[in-house]
Amino acid sequence: MKYIKVAAVAAAIALAATACGDDGGGEEKGASKDPAQLKVWMMGEGTTEQTKFLDAVEAEFKTKHPNTDVQIKYVPWPQVATTFQKAAAGGEGPDVTELGNTDVQSHIEQGNLADISGEFGDWADGKTLNKTALTNDQADGKTYAVPWYGGVRAVWYRTDLFQELSIQQPKTWAELTAAAKKIQDSNKADGIAVPSDQTNALLSFIWGNGGEVATKEGDKWVGKLDQPQAVEAAKYWSGLVTTEKVAPESYIGKHELQGPQRDFALGKVGMYFDGSWALKEMKKLAPKNVDKWGVFPIPSKTGGNAPVMAGGSDLAVWNDSKAKAAAFDYITVLNNAKNAKAWADYSGFSSMRSDVKFSDPKLEAFTSIASNTKFPPISAGWGEFEQAKKVLPNAIKAIMQGKSAEEEMKKANEQANTLLNAS
Amino acid sequence: MLDTAPAVRKASGRRSSGRARRRRGPRLGPYLLIAPTVAVIAILMFWPMIQIGIMSFQKVGNRQLRGEPAESVGTENFDTILNDPFFWQTLKQTVLFAVVAVTLTLLVGTLVGLLLNKLGRRMSSVVAGGVMVAWATPPVTAAIIFTWLFGTTGGVVNWTLDLLPNFLVGGGWADYNWFATPLSTYTVLTVCVVWQACPFVAVSVLAGLKSIPGELYEAARVDGSGPWRTFWSLTYPMLKPIFLVLVVMSIIWDFKVFTQLFIMSGMANRDAFNLSLYGYSEAFGSLNPKLGMGSAIALVLTVILLIVTAFYVRVMVRQGETK
Repeated sequence: MKYIKVAAVAAAIALAATACGDDGGGEEKGASKDPAQLKVWMMGEGTTEQTKFLDAVEAEFKTKHPNTDVQIKYVPWPQVATTFQKAAAGGEGPDVTELGNTDVQSHIEQGNLADISGEFGDWADGKTLNKTALTNDQADGKTYAVPWYGGVRAVWYRTDLFQELSIQQPKTWAELTAAAKKIQDSNKADGIAVPSDQTNALLSFIWGNGGEVATKEGDKWVGKLDQPQAVEAAKYWSGLVTTEKVAPESYIGKHELQGPQRDFALGKVGMYFDGSWALKEMKKLAPKNVDKWGVFPIPSKTGGNAPVMAGGSDLAVWNDSKAKAAAFDYITVLNNAKNAKAWADYSGFSSMRSDVKFSDPKLEAFTSIASNTKFPPISAGWGEFEQAKKVLPNAIKAIMQGKSAEEEMKKANEQANTLLNAS
Repeated sequence: MLDTAPAVRKASGRRSSGRARRRRGPRLGPYLLIAPTVAVIAILMFWPMIQIGIMSFQKVGNRQLRGEPAESVGTENFDTILNDPFFWQTLKQTVLFAVVAVTLTLLVGTLVGLLLNKLGRRMSSVVAGGVMVAWATPPVTAAIIFTWLFGTTGGVVNWTLDLLPNFLVGGGWADYNWFATPLSTYTVLTVCVVWQACPFVAVSVLAGLKSIPGELYEAARVDGSGPWRTFWSLTYPMLKPIFLVLVVMSIIWDFKVFTQLFIMSGMANRDAFNLSLYGYSEAFGSLNPKLGMGSAIALVLTVILLIVTAFYVRVMVRQGETK
């Protein structure tokens, strides 16, 4: 009796271990012409400036759709995957949504996005959009999303240290190492920040050495991470920490926002990899250091700019939306020339419209860097390779902690072969 | 278990009418009273548990979430998991962490409970207040605070260790990365989890101590028993039922630690994964969820927990009966 009692208590407590949360939400949809409500999802935490910008967009949108109320929901980046999973499963999705460009193919594959080929063809501004970015939004000749803004990464460096130690802008890997070494040896700051979890920058080194993550052969992705070019890039990247000792070990297991950005802004590290949008964040961290920051392109091994990953966001109409026409209209207003310019100026991201340029002189370098972009494998499996399994970050971490680069990259390549081809 | 507690209370209050009713037929009252709770638990806990059980034998991804029928894959999910050396690594880490954390939680918690019992009224409310703060802190907040404490820029722990003389703790602490290797990550995790869990143990032990009659301690003192002897011969046997529940609950809590580890080291440090994180990364890690796989891992974790608790409870109950 006593035993049963206690066992029952134990079982009940064990069950308390699994909790589950779900949130409801009203489903209200009007006629297809002018819906009462248009749900718009924006990625990120949202700020007052962003809300102000979106309010202006809504006002403009309302001149065409006076009866539609636009509702903005901000989805913080770390919750993006689970929020979209819930939306797909529960039918509580948005009408218009922003999407990280690396996720677009997964969404298309899963049937989350509406085919907007027709509307897109009728949209005059569509011709101004970046062609490379647009291919990422298409599948089987149909268009499912449109590029909105993009961001490329470069090397942020301390202009004052470069001047004081008479360092020239590095154009090759060897010069980059030498520059980092000079800063490290001056004891004024650590040379360079090389986190293990920064695939976006690592890719520039793989590409800048003529390597690839994977290439499409027929309709199969074939991993190229075990090729000498990629292995050498991984060795160089990790070697900055292990053999050259010009990058601190404190960023192993971290990404650029878990230390490098803050430490660079505060003057503890001489160089780090990030995009144009970082300026606005760093200004908040250390406003008095703003004049000491500059930008140069990530060098390739033997000279010249390495290709950079085109990160960024796209806009799409959710497949379950009952107001697809109004939803696309919203996109055309949000991304017209005037609003695109306002958005670029506020966010620090470059517009994907060829007729909208960066105006801030500090960010000018990014415009030239953006001309040499590349995409990671356009496959639905990339999400799992990069987000769930974090294959490259974990391989790099192992290499930084003394494992053989050849072995780790070989294992990563096997993962690429499986995950990129999984459906 | 369902009917004993209320039955006792009722019997004491309205003895005559209760007896009369019992003769007439089964008493519905207690069952009606407990029915809402059972219903809520059934909907919120048993149903998801059953779902997990079903899904662990299926392939469930986005297509299935959107309404396509899930395809049964037999024991494929379990085969994949059990043949994956990574699963055994995470299992090892989960078990080792639980053993260390449960031991420390009970040790520290009991000591704090004894201290609270010994202290005067004012001092004990100060200590109890401090302990309650740890208990009231949400796991997410605690994890973020500990990440900062053990961080590299502005982290108090590294700063302190660096200030201490080198012959004591060694040098080079300023840039020490606590979250680079599993061992150091789990050290921080253990400190954080124990800090949060020991208040509950302390308060439970304190409540138990208050219920032990003072005469027993007096008698022990007269017989010349020291504090050590008193604890093991008097306090511990008296509080054994409480310790039993505390151990079982601590094991369950520490086996399923997720939040703190997720925030401290996250997806980019697979070498520090425990079972919960492994399950999460499979099920929810990317836009292509593999819920069947995640369910299978969750099921394995649940089964292990049930076996461990059942075994422990059995041993404890047996010991209690023979004495």
